[in-house]
Amino acid sequence: MSLGVARCMGRVLWRQTHVPRMFLEGHCHPRQSPRCNTVLPLHTSAPLCAEPKKKKKVDPKREHVARERLKKRLKKMEKVPPELIPIEDFITPHEYLDETRARSEPKLSFEESERRALLLKEWSRFKHKQHQAEMEAINSALKAQREALEELKVESEELYKAAIKPDPLVFPFSHEGPTYTPPKPKYDAPDGKYNDITKTYTQ
Amino acid sequence: MAAGRCFHQVFRLSVSAGGAAAGRTGIRRSSGAAAQHAAGPWRLLGAACVQRLAVISEERRPMEGRFSELMHQMELERSLMSDHELRLLDDKKKLKRRQAVDYDSEEEDDEDRDQDIILTQDLEDAWEQRRKLFHTQPRVQGDVDVRVERPDRWLTEPLVLLTQQEVGADKLWLLPQTPWEAGETLKTTAQRALSSTPGLEMQTVFLGSAPCGLYKYRLPRAVRGSEGVTGVKVFFFKAVLRGALPPPGPSSIWARKSELKDYLKPSYLDKIRPFLLDL
Repeated sequence: MSLGVARCMGRVLWRQTHVPRMFLEGHCHPRQSPRCNTVLPLHTSAPLCAEPKKKKKVDPKREHVARERLKKRLKKMEKVPPELIPIEDFITPHEYLDETRARSEPKLSFEESERRALLLKEWSRFKHKQHQAEMEAINSALKAQREALEELKVESEELYKAAIKPDPLVFPFSHEGPTYTPPKPKYDAPDGKYNDITKTYTQ
Repeated sequence: MAAGRCFHQVFRLSVSAGGAAAGRTGIRRSSGAAAQHAAGPWRLLGAACVQRLAVISEERRPMEGRFSELMHQMELERSLMSDHELRLLDDKKKLKRRQAVDYDSEEEDDEDRDQDIILTQDLEDAWEQRRKLFHTQPRVQGDVDVRVERPDRWLTEPLVLLTQQEVGADKLWLLPQTPWEAGETLKTTAQRALSSTPGLEMQTVFLGSAPCGLYKYRLPRAVRGSEGVTGVKVFFFKAVLRGALPPPGPSSIWARKSELKDYLKPSYLDKIRPFLLDL
């Protein structure tokens, strides 16, 4: 940059010194002057002194690098951590902290609390029995299957291998569970219109 | 193979017999059994155990009823009042104020005076009326439950398909079965047992390719035939009825687990009962 400026200044000064000399001698055409050796017209260009032209490569590169540095600094400043999506279930809505909604505490009599405690114990015994029965049923079913597979192995290896192979058509398996009332034959269910007000968050 | 089976039999019988003397008789017995085994093959049959699973939930047992009531009570006690309940209380208070002796209508706020009193109780009654207009299908239909051939009987319990087939000289009630043919798996045999019989075409899903149970019996010497077939092994495959219920077919019934003893032989039922789960 500074060299270029110097060269420009040099060019300007040289031109300024050159013109008045011509004017003083009274010669208009430069070829007629005794100091001029060349046939071609003089070029008033800056003295390059055999230096190669570097300007067009280095400057854009330097500017590019500077611009990237500035961009990086801007990005670092703009880097805000993404806002966490709130979990609706963990936030108690403020309406539920209202005191007017609280029920009056029920005063349980001794008999009532005894009845509740005994019923809970009976229920645990009932469920335990149910669980034992379920486990027994499952174990006996597995035993029956194991015995059948052993007999099949004794009979023929091929059939046994075919039975052991997993069946790809079974899964995905789905079954509609039991409802309270059986389905009505030829029932036309009405269209349920609803406004979906679920809040969606974007990060 | 035969030698291995022989050794297996020896080991089993000697273990079960116990003492040395019994072991000797065991060995004698085992050689006889091994000879029988080596003599004839077993005929293989594939059978399908098709179940129509429960369509409606069971009736609550008394214990379950009491416990669910208790749970409901406890939840109500520990809860907060909803908007609907608050509105009910407000309406009660307003009514009380209006019915008071020294009620001055000018003291009321402008809003309350202009509003038509649609009590929450009236809303509840209107909703109840609308609910009564909808009729559900009845849970219990006694006349259908009695008919054994209908698949829509006893909707609370899983039902098993039984067919009447000729086995030897008698006609017996069994799970649909058919003899195994070379070149097919036993599961395919079970599927063929359903599709080949005229009244048994239905949409089913077979739960896996492994048999769930086995029933085997030896044929009496008179029946053993030229091949010298020792006995028959029936392998059962579980299937679940899928889609629409099939129409009642000839010589087929849908039986509950408690009704099976009326149709099946005791030894056969003992082998089937383990894999018919009520869960």
